[in-house]
Amino acid sequence: MLAFLRRNQILLASFFCVSFSLFILAAAARGRLQRDPIGPLLLGLMRPLQLGAQVTVAKLKELQRGYGTLRGLAAEKDKLERRVTELEAERNRLLEVEAVNRRLRELLELRSQLPPGSLTAKVISNSASTWFRSFILDKGSADGLLKGMAVVSPLGAVGQVVGLTLRSAKVLLVTDPHSGVDVIVQRSRARGIVSGSLEGAPVMKYVKRSEDIQQGDRLITSGLDGIFPKGVLVGSVTNVRKKSFGLFQYVEVSLAVDPSRIEEVLLVSAETSGP
Amino acid sequence: MKLSLLFLVVSFLAILLQTTFLHLLPLGPIVPDLILVLCVYWGLNHPTVGAVLGSFLLGYSVDVFSSPVLGLNAFAMSLVFLAVYLSSRCIWIHNPFLSAAVVFCASWVKAIALVMVGTLFLAVDGLWMGVFKYIFLEALVAAMLAPAVFSLLRHGQSCLGEVRAPH
Repeated sequence: MLAFLRRNQILLASFFCVSFSLFILAAAARGRLQRDPIGPLLLGLMRPLQLGAQVTVAKLKELQRGYGTLRGLAAEKDKLERRVTELEAERNRLLEVEAVNRRLRELLELRSQLPPGSLTAKVISNSASTWFRSFILDKGSADGLLKGMAVVSPLGAVGQVVGLTLRSAKVLLVTDPHSGVDVIVQRSRARGIVSGSLEGAPVMKYVKRSEDIQQGDRLITSGLDGIFPKGVLVGSVTNVRKKSFGLFQYVEVSLAVDPSRIEEVLLVSAETSGP
Repeated sequence: MKLSLLFLVVSFLAILLQTTFLHLLPLGPIVPDLILVLCVYWGLNHPTVGAVLGSFLLGYSVDVFSSPVLGLNAFAMSLVFLAVYLSSRCIWIHNPFLSAAVVFCASWVKAIALVMVGTLFLAVDGLWMGVFKYIFLEALVAAMLAPAVFSLLRHGQSCLGEVRAPH
């Protein structure tokens, strides 16, 4: 008997525990378990441990929350950075649109002041040579452009059309040494020809020694060359030299338009822009 | 004696962890069942009368801390120990993955036992649905914990020089 008990002690103990727990359960379920000797003891033993652990748990929870918040903030930061990038791109696009809008509005304003029949065109390329100052427009004879048309911008005279194809036009700029624009000094009405120079600044040629011309004088087109309409700003006088000999004065000019910054232009036909 | 002390400390630690720190894990309502893992370990590697009583007491302590009535978990844990002990007599389980599988099955045994006695004694409606909602995940988490816990316990036992060969 003892040997049987010893051999099967684990099984017997297990069965006892299972049965005993069922007994406790039944008693507890029916409310007959009045006293629980183990529960309070266990609770009392665990209490200080659990109190200590709870402090750590609270700190860990705080850390966890902090980490969660940080992760949330990091995600928020990424999201905001993406948004800023998007908005920056959008802002750049809008600024560009605004700039184009402003230029076109100015062109439109200028167009209303110019004789009817003027056309707008975009600059699509610049000169391929050091020796020539020119650019190519996106419109040609098919669009109604003619050779010899004046090219102007809201800031002033730009050049004239010297070559044409069906869909493009070559413009010789006023900065080119081969160009010439008939101008008058706005203040004194003295005449001359503004031409580009490879050596330095453009010059105003053929100004008589007797003419009244000063530094800072504004030069406008005279309209007598049959190319530019009258009154278009060409530039201003930056330097005047009278030599002790010769018929003419030496006048250096600062042009009103920097051709390298032009993107859209207006074209005025010689017939309509004539004096 | 030393081993009993070790298991006593581990038991207290398991209860403490299960009632405090393990709630920090982001597992929703599921709490990793270290106590179950411990009972399974005892059933597999340390089947003694003391382990039987230990399983019962561990279950009882869960009842003290969590259960609406006493005896529910004590019954379940005792049953788990018995089931694992009987299994270990039939099959050789000394592999960490196999022990994880045993823990997984033991978790199901515990859940079914809880549902059965709960239905019988407490007449709780919808207990089955509630258990089946979480049982798989709970069993999975317990199974995942098992190899590490088993290894730690074996290490502790070997430090005390009291490793027993499995039956």
